[in-house]
Amino acid sequence: MASEATPRVNAKYLDSFTNQTVRILGKVVSLRGETATIDANGTINVQLNRDAHLQLNNAVEVVGKVQQDLSVKVFQATDFGSNIDFIAVEAVVDATHRYKEIFYDSND
Amino acid sequence: MDYGGGYSTTSYGAQGGAGGGGFMGGSQGGSQGAAGKGTYGKDTLRPVTIKQVLDAQQPHPDAEFKIDDVEITQVSFVGQIRNISTQTTNITYKLDDGTGTIEVKQWIDADATMDTTSDSAPSKPKLVENEWARVWGRLKAFNNKRHVGAHVIRPVADKMEITYHLLEATFVHLYFVKGPLDQIKAEGGGANGNAGEVGYGGGGDTGMNGGQMPNVSVAARRVYQTLKDSPQNNEGLHVQNVAALVGMNVADVKKAGDELLSHSMIFTTVDDDTWAVLEF
Repeated sequence: MASEATPRVNAKYLDSFTNQTVRILGKVVSLRGETATIDANGTINVQLNRDAHLQLNNAVEVVGKVQQDLSVKVFQATDFGSNIDFIAVEAVVDATHRYKEIFYDSND
Repeated sequence: MDYGGGYSTTSYGAQGGAGGGGFMGGSQGGSQGAAGKGTYGKDTLRPVTIKQVLDAQQPHPDAEFKIDDVEITQVSFVGQIRNISTQTTNITYKLDDGTGTIEVKQWIDADATMDTTSDSAPSKPKLVENEWARVWGRLKAFNNKRHVGAHVIRPVADKMEITYHLLEATFVHLYFVKGPLDQIKAEGGGANGNAGEVGYGGGGDTGMNGGQMPNVSVAARRVYQTLKDSPQNNEGLHVQNVAALVGMNVADVKKAGDELLSHSMIFTTVDDDTWAVLEF
């Protein structure tokens, strides 16, 4: 069964999730029209879709597919405001992969 | 650390009772009535991920669902609203929290439907697609398809609630799989280097240990552990001694003792305030 889960990752996990749909919560550090850079324990380049409205310096949660070059093609972006504690967000990413049994099905 | 206690005791009973008892005048009563009755008083409200809901085991139809081998009655979770579909009798929301997707149905109270069109409506927070919501409800299976009957569904205003919820769900999952936090620290401390995998082995022991103590509070577990581990003669230990050893006040130790007595895990010896562990 194709998993509907979108595991929460950050920059450190991208290379083990190529061609998979993931969820990233990060801070928008630069905006360049069709692309943007977000910081999620390291910088990630994202390719935006038309209805993604990112705000500089705000937190954003993107759901997207990790490309071969480790950029992320965004399917959906949700503004998470400016009041996000990224230490807690890191803890969730860590828990996601440490205790994956309650977060996503993996092949190993 | 006391925080953990709430999940194993019946302290949620009162709250759960409100949901189980008075909920929506029987529109869903059919399957719920029978199963609900048996668990009345030990109702729980557990924070979960949607994957846990989808993976929940049901031993046989009409039985309560189990997560981590523990029965669940009410659950709470968050999710991003993928779809809203308004039916004549209910509103169905499709929620996705990144771990899975599930349908959440909120039944429309016929008497209250007028309110949605009246002036009181704007004061009610709105649920819109792609925004996040929190749900409290009960897991149901209908024609092999699972959905959650929502008691309450409301928008998530502070996005940190999502992060918080996922950590809380992890904490509760680990509580049931590995045992209470203080127990792991006491017994599994040595395995710290490999917290991820090897620690799990250590956790297995404590989990079993905890498994013999159903539904007792963290305080009771600590008192039990102290009685078990402290040197003593066959008269056991007096409440005062236990209090000093555990570092709790006497009243709390007595309360914990009552709990253990009611489970026949300890027994009184020379007087009511001197206890020893009942071992087989």
